[in-house]
Amino acid sequence: MAVHKHILSALRNGPTRRNLFGPVDREQLQVEYQAALHKDLEEASIRWGFDFIRDKPLNSSDFKWEGIPATKVPVLYRSCMLEQAEGDSILAAVSHKGGRAQSPQSDKENIPNSPERYSLDLEKLERTPERGESTGLKRKQTNITDFFQAKRRVVGKPRKSGE
Amino acid sequence: MELLCLELDTNIRARPDPNLLCDDRVLHSLLTIEERFLPQYSYFKGVQKDIQPFMRRMVATWMLEVCEEQKCEEEVFPLAMNYLDRFLAVVPTKKCNLQLLGAVCMFLASKLKDTRPLTAEKLCIYTDNSIRPQELLEWELVVLGKLKWNLAAVTPNDFIEYILRRLPLPEDKLALIRKHVQTFIALCATDFSFAMYPPSMIATGSVGAAICGLQLNSSNQSQWGDSLTDLLAKITNTEVDVLKACQEHIERVLVSSLREGHQQQQQQQQQTQRGSSGKGLEELDQSSTPTDVRDINL
Repeated sequence: MAVHKHILSALRNGPTRRNLFGPVDREQLQVEYQAALHKDLEEASIRWGFDFIRDKPLNSSDFKWEGIPATKVPVLYRSCMLEQAEGDSILAAVSHKGGRAQSPQSDKENIPNSPERYSLDLEKLERTPERGESTGLKRKQTNITDFFQAKRRVVGKPRKSGE
Repeated sequence: MELLCLELDTNIRARPDPNLLCDDRVLHSLLTIEERFLPQYSYFKGVQKDIQPFMRRMVATWMLEVCEEQKCEEEVFPLAMNYLDRFLAVVPTKKCNLQLLGAVCMFLASKLKDTRPLTAEKLCIYTDNSIRPQELLEWELVVLGKLKWNLAAVTPNDFIEYILRRLPLPEDKLALIRKHVQTFIALCATDFSFAMYPPSMIATGSVGAAICGLQLNSSNQSQWGDSLTDLLAKITNTEVDVLKACQEHIERVLVSSLREGHQQQQQQQQQTQRGSSGKGLEELDQSSTPTDVRDINL
């Protein structure tokens, strides 16, 4: 690291803790943030043929959407719905109309959360979600021995070496 | 029997995995996918109106200092700069939001590479509280969207071991070479002229510059000759001329960076000696500038 310091000392000015380009216009920043999110969401809506704000499929879409109960999907996919009304338990599942398993743009499968139902909560974001929270479907942890056939040594038989 | 906990407050590292290091397929895969993560445009000529190249350098230097102070993994800084360049290539950004963007990029890169990632609060303190954790988290989402969540970008650091393994280098010098290579890679990341170079070329050029700088190639001339560049070029499938140009470019940036650092030191000395009358800056003797990497204390 000393090399870094020496070579890059030219660019140093004062302590590392510093404001580089003056004050940030908070209101403008918020406006830009909302606009950026909204644009992302619109693009995602067009791409997937699904209105993520109203939580409804679009009429003109390459995909055929059908609803499935929230309990049938892993907890991971439910987390961002928690802020919504609890009675609303329907998530949408997607299948391609043409029967193809993947869309041609399968590398862009990530959908940003809509700002409406995604209230930022620092504590939640900074924390890794714990497994098996109360809402979770409890699933038994698989043990490696689950894959072995149960064997019992019959008493009286001589031990094989290595047993 | 007494049980002792020998766990220290250091990060436990896996040993280098020969299955990965000795297999050519890994290097080939890295070479195949690296282009996908390059910024698409030289954004100062189009997208950006408010931001100048020197501002990129300012934010890059700040980011490097933060990464150093927080003892981040070596690749955190180059990876964060990759995010920054890819974002700036598509989103016109205001000068006053550039530091926020830099912080967000470090936040993401650190999550990907560090055992104990930088926290939002800590990063905000480093901006002298000019941004709030809330804003950092909000913009994290925006940046992720623009990067299409493709965060596992190939960095020059990914190539270091694959290149070093294929060179006949003395075992006892490896740690020193590695350190120099990492420094050159960080230096390249602060300089926009390297932003469009493929990571493998920056890595190869940095290894070349490190070996030449440490003059490891002159002591056993018979072994290397002029073949160092040829050998390096072959490892990462780079053209010899292009690689030579890249290495020279790195060496030029290094020399000018050292000179600036030296000048600034002298300037500071002068200022403390003469008080505020810091005249005669041009007369500064530059002959004592260390242009030999070996003169730098490690």
